[in-house]
Amino acid sequence: MFKFFLLVSRNSCKSILIPLLLFVASGCAGPAAKLEPVFFPPQPNPPRIQYLTGISKSTDIEGKKNTFSLILTGRADIDEQKSIIKPYGIMTRKGKIYVCDIGVGNVVIIDPIKKSFEYLKGNTNVGKLKKPANIAADADENLYVADVARKEIVVYNSAGNFIRAFGKETDMKPTDVAVDGDLVYVLDLQKKNNEIKIFDRKSGELKQSIGKMAANGEGLDMPTNFTFDNNGFLYATNSGSGKVIKFDKDGHILLSFGELGDVIGKFSRPKGIAVDHENRIYVVDGGNQNVQVFSEKGRLLIFFGDPGLLRGSLNLPVSISVTRDNLEYYQKLAAPGFILEAVMLITNQYGAEKISIYGLGQMQGAESGAEQIKAATEKKADSAETINK
Amino acid sequence: MRIKLLSLFFFMWTALFATSQSHAESCSNAGCHKAIADIKNIHEPVKKEECQACHQQRSTTHPVSGEKNFQLTAKGAALCNQCHDRKEKKKVVHPPDCLFACHKPHGAAGRFLLDNDKDLTGLCVGCHKITLPKQKYMHGPAAVGSCAVCHDPHQSSEKALLKGPVRSLCLKCHQDFAKSLNAAPIIHLPVKEDSCTSCHDPHGSQEVMFLKEKMPDLCLDCHENIAEKIQDLKVPHKPVKETRGCGNCHSPHYATAKGLFAVEEKELCLSCHNTDKLGSLRNIKKDIEGKKYLHGPISKGDCKACHDPHGSNSFRMLKGNYPADLYVPYKDGVYEACLNCHEKKLLRYADTTLYTKFRNGNRNLHYVHVAIKRKGRTCRVCHEAHASNGEKLISKEGSQFGDWKIPLNFQINSNGGRCAPGCHRAFSYDREKPVSYVLEENKPAADKPADDRPSTSDSVSKTEAN
Repeated sequence: MFKFFLLVSRNSCKSILIPLLLFVASGCAGPAAKLEPVFFPPQPNPPRIQYLTGISKSTDIEGKKNTFSLILTGRADIDEQKSIIKPYGIMTRKGKIYVCDIGVGNVVIIDPIKKSFEYLKGNTNVGKLKKPANIAADADENLYVADVARKEIVVYNSAGNFIRAFGKETDMKPTDVAVDGDLVYVLDLQKKNNEIKIFDRKSGELKQSIGKMAANGEGLDMPTNFTFDNNGFLYATNSGSGKVIKFDKDGHILLSFGELGDVIGKFSRPKGIAVDHENRIYVVDGGNQNVQVFSEKGRLLIFFGDPGLLRGSLNLPVSISVTRDNLEYYQKLAAPGFILEAVMLITNQYGAEKISIYGLGQMQGAESGAEQIKAATEKKADSAETINK
Repeated sequence: MRIKLLSLFFFMWTALFATSQSHAESCSNAGCHKAIADIKNIHEPVKKEECQACHQQRSTTHPVSGEKNFQLTAKGAALCNQCHDRKEKKKVVHPPDCLFACHKPHGAAGRFLLDNDKDLTGLCVGCHKITLPKQKYMHGPAAVGSCAVCHDPHQSSEKALLKGPVRSLCLKCHQDFAKSLNAAPIIHLPVKEDSCTSCHDPHGSQEVMFLKEKMPDLCLDCHENIAEKIQDLKVPHKPVKETRGCGNCHSPHYATAKGLFAVEEKELCLSCHNTDKLGSLRNIKKDIEGKKYLHGPISKGDCKACHDPHGSNSFRMLKGNYPADLYVPYKDGVYEACLNCHEKKLLRYADTTLYTKFRNGNRNLHYVHVAIKRKGRTCRVCHEAHASNGEKLISKEGSQFGDWKIPLNFQINSNGGRCAPGCHRAFSYDREKPVSYVLEENKPAADKPADDRPSTSDSVSKTEAN
């Protein structure tokens, strides 16, 4: 009996001591201080965006497993823990979060509802990723990963198994990928060949290229990310010109805004881009380290995530995905009365928090933007009438 | 009341006694006040020689020259009220002294102690300086001096001594109107909520239907947005400025159709645009009748989807720009009227896979026809604006080109189409497998760029007519 006690105490002293210390410490500290919600814009403006939480490792999703044991050493849970090291692209689809971990050549698939945090199964052998920058999915849930180092698009089926790769012969440097029906759009950052290449989804054959800079200087200039909106228009960020350019599928430029600069409304290193259900355009800036939100006509609406906050600051942010999936799940993380209408997930290349999650919404009972504009217009008309009288 | 009657009886008895005692002859037949006896309708007390009912003797001697020996028994309306007692006092009382302003106290040629009880014009206008006789259009009762049809000459609970609230007063006579109004699904708000006198002068005016102002000014007083809109319009709608103004299209009181129309919108428009006699305007009714394909808004009866019925600054009162000329190359905004609904980028790009099906491969054939700087064809060259027997409203009968109607011979097939018009030689187009327009004999020179011309074949076609 004594021998057994010695054995247990020797093997699991860490397992026992750490919880004990934590227990004592927590007992001394009393109840944990409640964190104040972080809103953007800051007061006295009505809040429209709230920092919700961050994800970096599997325990953030799966929760901490009960590792207390009289015989285990405490190493097992560390072995089980999966992490995001240096993320780049992010995609949300049907509630799942797909993160390209460019640092270790991996794709992490997170399902917050099922509390799962998995690595891409087919990322091995011929399917092994080197520098996955961004990821897209087709209607059959096949995954298309733009690998900058492999210089091709690597395709996996819905189960995560490698199927094929295409585009190598074009000598491209794919930084982003998007699927539209039977066509795969690839953003090519290859020097002096900045363009969007359009491949046949099934054959992998290059069909067309669009977006190349024209003689008048309009077009792609060191593009890093692009996205489709719900109407089938493409938006690309250009770190060369500091512009966001909206294209139709033929490559005609429909809108262009922004320039290089470190003040709001301008971009230092525009990177990830997303368009939400109201056609608002979200642009991540790796230099200014924030996200700026623009109207569909390119007018600045709000910015958030700037450095300097205790919580809710971005750290070398790269990509963004805006989703309305699982709103109920994220709503639980929001401040009481702050009703979410969309959630933004942004990858950070540095810092402890690799994915920062923010919610777009407004306080219950607050007027919507359209209502506010209407009220302001009516007020203006009333005051004009009073002056006339 | 009883005391009043008793005192009246006593007063009359004393008067009678006094008269019989002091005057053997009556006032009227004594020769002094004989004219009273000649009046047609004599006031009842006068007829009965009851002069002292109203007149009270101040001295015993009468007559004395230069002196007044009698005084009235009461002043103003109180004199009349001694007999004609009004039981209730209403809010508005006609202020004048009854006897001398309106009624003749001893008698008159007409009833009610009035000289002309049939036509009160002279009587009322004497005080009320309304310009009745000068008005071009008169309300019937005012025209014949039947003021008392609407006004109570003595007192009333309504303003202007009206016999009742304005609306009910009007509808008492205009019963047919009241019946239709009650049955109408749409009623003009002022008719529903305000009095008729908001728009009409109940006596008369210089405007038809004795409106308070001429049309359309009367309507525009309230409809300020329209007033602002129709100022200095380049292309006004003529009926708006005509005598009936807004009433040419709208029913000012009530209607069966939205917009206060007596009939549905299209029917209303076509009730005028149904003739060849409107100058340069087409007979739209004839254009539409029996046609296989109608322009979307017309099929919904919505003419105002394209035209502004109050007028606009654009050709044919369109709601946006559209050229009056046959050839106007596309520029942003020039074809606004069509592109407000149709794809805005239809004519913007020389190549597209998105904005038109009228393309050869990616080559935008709408752009080829309209956007070329040399000779941009307006939409009307190929399309009818209102209706056609051809698909896509392509003119089946041909496009009017001066005196000639150019046949278009346009056909659509599953992946493209064919056109063999009087404009150029026959061309087909295919969206998937683009057709080469270079003639075989010219193929060595086919590498030349097509620049912005409608098609390379234009240079070889000698039949270009438009």
